[in-house]
Amino acid sequence: MESFLNALVSGLISGSLYAAMALGLTIIYGISRIFNFGHGVIALIGAYIAWIFVQNSKIADTSLLLGILVAIVFLFLLGFLLYRYTMNPLMKKPNWEISTVLFMLGLGILLENVILQIFGPRVKSIPVFKEGNIRIGMVQINWHEIIIIFIVILAIFLLNLFFKHTRSGQAMRAVAQSIPGAKVVGIDIEKIFGYTFGLAFVVTGISGILLGTKYYMNPHIGWEWMVKGFVIVCFGGLGSTNGAIYAALILGVVEALATLFLSAMWVWPIWFAIFMIVLLIRPQGILGGRV
Amino acid sequence: MLETRELSRSFGKLAALSNVSFSVDKGEVFGIAGPNGAGKSTLFNVITGNYAPTSGKVFFCGNDITGKKPYQICQLGIGRTFQIPTTFHTLSVYDNIKVGSTFGGYKTRPPEEILEFLNISQLSALPARNLDLYSTKLTMLGAVLATNCQLLMLDEPMAGFSIVEINRFIEVLQRINKEWGVTIVIIEHLLDILIGLTERMLILSNGSLLYLGPSSEVTQDRKVVEVYIGAAHKEEFHAES
Repeated sequence: MESFLNALVSGLISGSLYAAMALGLTIIYGISRIFNFGHGVIALIGAYIAWIFVQNSKIADTSLLLGILVAIVFLFLLGFLLYRYTMNPLMKKPNWEISTVLFMLGLGILLENVILQIFGPRVKSIPVFKEGNIRIGMVQINWHEIIIIFIVILAIFLLNLFFKHTRSGQAMRAVAQSIPGAKVVGIDIEKIFGYTFGLAFVVTGISGILLGTKYYMNPHIGWEWMVKGFVIVCFGGLGSTNGAIYAALILGVVEALATLFLSAMWVWPIWFAIFMIVLLIRPQGILGGRV
Repeated sequence: MLETRELSRSFGKLAALSNVSFSVDKGEVFGIAGPNGAGKSTLFNVITGNYAPTSGKVFFCGNDITGKKPYQICQLGIGRTFQIPTTFHTLSVYDNIKVGSTFGGYKTRPPEEILEFLNISQLSALPARNLDLYSTKLTMLGAVLATNCQLLMLDEPMAGFSIVEINRFIEVLQRINKEWGVTIVIIEHLLDILIGLTERMLILSNGSLLYLGPSSEVTQDRKVVEVYIGAAHKEEFHAES
């Protein structure tokens, strides 16, 4: 019973990390209809930028905060400019669905190798926010994971506020539902797509930093993160942020229970088996829709 | 108010529009007709900035608006609706209209005013995806009206309506024109509806101007009769044989 409860909690923790990971993917897809195949590497860029600032410290201090801020600014600009100078011209051409996917895939491979050149192949990790753990009943949970969950919940809350109450957020929701409709009521969709990429890259980068603190990172792990994000987003319903959150929590728990009762080797096969069954029964995912 | 000069647009080798020049006066209700594929929707798309013209210019209130983006054209005061009803389907009718009030530019109309004007206040809280065709189209029209457009361009707004709905919709259009002074350009397949609704009209055929003049005289024009009635006769003939 005790190990079961602990597995459940650790599942929810990794689930919330996966949710953060998947959010950036589903935001871009839901609003611009582009599937970002460079997603994992964008998360890695966030993680490596934060790492630059904390490489000499054992425990996270204000330098990590500075690293996160730099990563946020850098990734927003990267997303905005990337949309403006590459995606925007590509989207005006026929077959843009394929050409944008291939472009992002190519960019991901390019950036992966840039990271490899700069940081080398060795495994790195970002120090935890706070050492030590606490016990609640039978469940043991460490401070770091509590802070991670808090950050993820805060991020989801802020994103919701942004989509509901800001002008840009409302425009994004309108664009997600109907591009021609948004154009005729006076929304500058190219600007909104640019902001969308910037925002999604920021969210993705933060998720990369969190993953870097809980697990580890090397220049190639971005692809594994992306495949996980991909499964979650399809499972939850492409373009649906709530769907992605539910799917991430479900798959996180599945992962922890599979590890507990079978072994860690079974995690991927079980993930994909569930994923394929959902695709066959409900191709639009558990909550198909947009944003 | 609106003027096009020698407007052309080609898609590859196909000339969808060639040298179309016409102008619409302030306060007018102006009709556009023509057989399928004549270039009516292309003309709308070029004027509202969805396609850039291959050549030619578009003027609105004396300013050159050629090549401006759709959102800029909307904020300048040109509203347009689509042949296929386009709404934000998970939003309520009220919120759909509010999108127009929010993003339509400097001075817009509040959603309450639009709901009351279109007499759809009772639908206000319904999600747009649950509406019937007529209410969906009124909602789309409402969102566009909320941007406070001075020129309203309607692409076959009455396609799929029953006779009763057509008459109700025409009444709405006449009120928009008379009470708010909005200039209207309307594409419509059915000539007799257009003749009743508009003072002047143009007819496109294969991307070129076939007729431009008073609506009341359109049926006496030899070329129009040839394209419209002639084609109808041929269809009838084929149907019988």
